[in-house]
Amino acid sequence: MLSATDITLSFGGFMALRGVTIEAKPGTVTGLIGPNGSGKSTLLNVIGGVYVPDSGELTLGNLPLPIGRPDKVAQAGIGRTFQVPRLAHRLTVFQNMLAGERDHCGERIADLLLRPGKVKAQEKQASKRATAMLERLGLGHKANDYAGSLSGGQQKLLTMGMLLMSDPAALLLDEPAAGVNPVLIEQQVALLKALRDEGRIIILIEHNMEMIANVCDHVFVLDGGQVIAEGTPAEIRGNETVIRSYLGQPANS
Amino acid sequence: MLDFAVYSITIIAVWSILALSLNIQFGMTGLVNFGQILPFALGAYAAGIAASLGYPWWIGALAGLIAAPLIALLVIMPAQRLAQDYWALITLGAAEIFRLTVLNTPALTGGADGLIVPRIIDPVLAMTVAVAVLIVTFLLAQRISSSPYGRMLRVVREDEILASTLGRSPIRYQASVSVIAWMMAAAAGVTYAHITGYVAPSSFTVTETFIIWTAVILGGPGRNIGVIFGAAIIQLLGVSSRFIAQWIDLPPDLIANLRLASFGLVLVLMFLYRPQGLIPEAKQVHDAERD
Repeated sequence: MLSATDITLSFGGFMALRGVTIEAKPGTVTGLIGPNGSGKSTLLNVIGGVYVPDSGELTLGNLPLPIGRPDKVAQAGIGRTFQVPRLAHRLTVFQNMLAGERDHCGERIADLLLRPGKVKAQEKQASKRATAMLERLGLGHKANDYAGSLSGGQQKLLTMGMLLMSDPAALLLDEPAAGVNPVLIEQQVALLKALRDEGRIIILIEHNMEMIANVCDHVFVLDGGQVIAEGTPAEIRGNETVIRSYLGQPANS
Repeated sequence: MLDFAVYSITIIAVWSILALSLNIQFGMTGLVNFGQILPFALGAYAAGIAASLGYPWWIGALAGLIAAPLIALLVIMPAQRLAQDYWALITLGAAEIFRLTVLNTPALTGGADGLIVPRIIDPVLAMTVAVAVLIVTFLLAQRISSSPYGRMLRVVREDEILASTLGRSPIRYQASVSVIAWMMAAAAGVTYAHITGYVAPSSFTVTETFIIWTAVILGGPGRNIGVIFGAAIIQLLGVSSRFIAQWIDLPPDLIANLRLASFGLVLVLMFLYRPQGLIPEAKQVHDAERD
């Protein structure tokens, strides 16, 4: 279970998060929705270690998560994608995938110079997994293209692939479907469901309500830095408060 | 003519080592080091001071190779929490602080007069030593470039936040590559001191750092063989301008300034028309058949 409890964060005088509490269980997809500026991405940045909250607790399983250290959070088993995909643009798709390999002995100078055989063996092993993962993502034919030359949708798939190289327990996905063509969205939905069935924790920010309804087991609705509603997608759809926060007050009220 | 060739190869070798050391920092990792002459000076002065105190050459070499990485860590420590632009200022400042300190401590460093270092008299031997150090440096740089470590350096260059979301601490890569690069430059400095037989602060100004940069930008940032090619062109341009000075009747200091101006022109043209350099960074193609 990944939980963020009573998270508060202010930027100067602006309260971005006001005591937000969410939970996400393994083997489920948890949606985060809400109007622009409601604090969804900020919450993901707090969990991912990019921002340091003013107060609150983060736990994965029974262990507290490191605060404000993106690299330590990643090492704890939390993978994170961004709204605008982050990739090494001037490396090939395949090299990007290999960069996802964790604890590579070939990144240690001593092993690099003194134990070339060990480095080669791990590289070969990682290459096999990268090849398999690229096939699964439908990017196999792009392996030797520069990552920067991929379409926006393919870049989003690649960032997910890079994270999956380290077999993370949890995935934080920031708008994976935004600006992606419908065919790739279907592919992403299938991938998300498969990852969920592998028992991973998935937290998803998305504006595409069809996708939310399709893959989420539980949804938290944020507005003004607070959770204003939670429930299954069906419950949320009928919730008066949510409709008001998205669409505004009825004219005759 | 043969003497000239031997001299040129020696000089090109020394500057190629410097270009390689900047290449693994800037070309591969994206670190803007505007003080790369500092580790070169540290190596040269380690050799000079050791000699002036009567120690054998290898004590000076060892001192240079130990001092450079330590100073590297000291210099980049304040840069740790700063944006990339500040690396340029801090490294530039550090190199100038060292040069000015040397100028003002004549008892230890000889001040503006410099220090005498035992010179390798035989030019062919001097060339052999310089080329040998270059070969070792090149092999190390190549090993880094084609390795998983080099790949992660490039990820740090492209996007530090990406590297940290992949579970890496960017500063650890920036620090380790700086340590290696500064040791390379210190080795070049020791070699240089024993080839010229003399070290003085005037050899380690901002202009020298700028010449290393020109070689890297011209040759191809991120490509080891490219920056050696760049260093060769820049040094040959420099050497040949001395000949031109003999043929046409211009004052020598004007020729020296024109030489620098031509390096500046090379930089501007490269940034405008061929930012990837003459020999661009190679694409690492994966061959699935070989897995």
